[in-house]
Amino acid sequence: MTAAGKWKAATLGLVVVVLLLLPQVVKSSFAIDIFIRILLFSFIGVAWNLMGGYAKQLSLGHAAYFGLGAYTSTIMQIDFGISPWIGMIAGGVVAMLASLPIGWLCFRLRGPYFTIATIATAQALMLIFLKFRDLAWGAEGTTIPNLGSSPLMMQFESKASYYYVVLGLLALGLFITHKIEQSWMGYYLVAIGEDEDAAEAIGVNAPRIKRDIYMISAFLTALAGTFYVQYIYFIDPATAFSFNISIEAALVSIVGGIGTLWGPVIGTVLLETTSALLQSWLGSTTGGIQLTVYALILMGIILWRPTGLMGLVTDAYQRYQHRKPARA
Amino acid sequence: MLEIIAQAVINGLLIGGIYALVSIGVTLIFGVVKIVNFAQGEFVMIGMYISFYLATQFGIDPIVSLFVSMPVLFVVGVLVQHFLIRRVLGPNDMPQIFLTFALSLLLLNLSLMLFTANYRTVHTSYSDEALHLGGLYIPVAKLIAFVVAMALSGMLWLFLHTTDLGRAMRAAAQNRDVATLMGINPNRVFAVAFGAALALAGAAGSLLMPFYSAYPFVGQVFVLMAFVAVVLGTLGNVIGALVASLMMGVAESLGIQFVGADSGLIVVFAMLLLTLAFKPNGLGGGRVR
Repeated sequence: MTAAGKWKAATLGLVVVVLLLLPQVVKSSFAIDIFIRILLFSFIGVAWNLMGGYAKQLSLGHAAYFGLGAYTSTIMQIDFGISPWIGMIAGGVVAMLASLPIGWLCFRLRGPYFTIATIATAQALMLIFLKFRDLAWGAEGTTIPNLGSSPLMMQFESKASYYYVVLGLLALGLFITHKIEQSWMGYYLVAIGEDEDAAEAIGVNAPRIKRDIYMISAFLTALAGTFYVQYIYFIDPATAFSFNISIEAALVSIVGGIGTLWGPVIGTVLLETTSALLQSWLGSTTGGIQLTVYALILMGIILWRPTGLMGLVTDAYQRYQHRKPARA
Repeated sequence: MLEIIAQAVINGLLIGGIYALVSIGVTLIFGVVKIVNFAQGEFVMIGMYISFYLATQFGIDPIVSLFVSMPVLFVVGVLVQHFLIRRVLGPNDMPQIFLTFALSLLLLNLSLMLFTANYRTVHTSYSDEALHLGGLYIPVAKLIAFVVAMALSGMLWLFLHTTDLGRAMRAAAQNRDVATLMGINPNRVFAVAFGAALALAGAAGSLLMPFYSAYPFVGQVFVLMAFVAVVLGTLGNVIGALVASLMMGVAESLGIQFVGADSGLIVVFAMLLLTLAFKPNGLGGGRVR
């Protein structure tokens, strides 16, 4: 292993240890709640980034899969008593299957109009769940029965347990991204993201690759949906298909560094910390302040740092490498 | 039965005129500057608030305040193009999409902070007036809005086809590089296109005010309609956008009449999805004018 590789492994190990010990050290439930939000949105961002970041298929409709995952597991749990652990996987499969027709439609458009079509599909799904009361409780939604401590039903007494579940999800997302980055598929994705026509000209089967990555991305996003409604014990169409989910998924990746492994995580840490600080300073009375600040950060990044915070980090690292005398 | 259908069609056409102003703006920016302005709806919202404050503070009629909202938004458009959009033009989609998207997010949430989420209405002398033609009922405020919207669309068409600047805009839309070689200054053309598009959005806002409430999220309703109309009418095509907007208005209105009051959006999404499935290049078949 090279020296740089060793440093990387050591840093990663340290991060893992800190993340594992965090809920044992920090006992404030407010703080753990923020950690859970950070991990959850990092995970959603990682799922989005696979398609939006590497292949540059900029979706603003990932709430569709978040909502499908949430509703699948909740319907299975309440109507059939099936554990949300199984429901979570089922939700992922439902989202994967749903991504096929949705992708078939949306991939007919490119660039901004692809983005608009994805918004429309997520909104259309929300309307379906609002309108058809027989399907799933309509606009009022439903609370998820609280069984007390029941790990088999994904219900825990301590917030720390939820923390470990979502940490596991994020680790899964990062592992899958890492594997894809190193595979042929990763190169195909980047080629499509750079120039789809050129990629096709050199023999990349772009429609198939886009379809596959959309399925993976949808699957992972649905897992986050199940986790989220289990965590807040409530589901309704406005929560499950919230446009804010789609926005945040894209935002954290772009702010952190689009198409990079750690970008979504760094972006979420920055945005969620900012949002938590704003809330504690101003209280929740001032509606709109959080998204106003998000919008300003997003504009700043796009105008001055299109590579995101990860770009800053790699630039600084390269400058440091250049200053260091070369070693044999 | 026939009368109900006729009434629904009239209602749809009248609101479709407003959709047309928004979609023509979207398609003009897409055609000339080659970006999609996600914030177009928020400029409709700003137009509405301008008219609302002029009406409540100075007693100016919302239709008359068009002469304020249009120039103000034209200038805003030129500034937005010059200081923001110009910096992200290029082959890369990501910054363009998310810059205008961030602008939309910013304007929406700023207005939420400044104006609160309350619904604001202006009551004019003609807000409740209506013409009766046979058994049909035509609200005066919507009729005025429709007529002015069509007049403005016609003026834009004339501008694009008879003036030098308009021709320069169409030339830049067809081929930016060749247009530049012919001595057209693309930055100037883009700024005018963006300004004109925002002026139309401002006009839509002012025209809506006598019969529609202003609130921070109001633009979302119209921009969604506009996006669908622009896909339906073939991207970048002004007349296509106009016709498609009127169709969307009628389809929405028929949906409300026969399916249910809250089904307007479902009809819109259904139309978008059907268009994508069967006519992804729009009804015009892909010709961009």
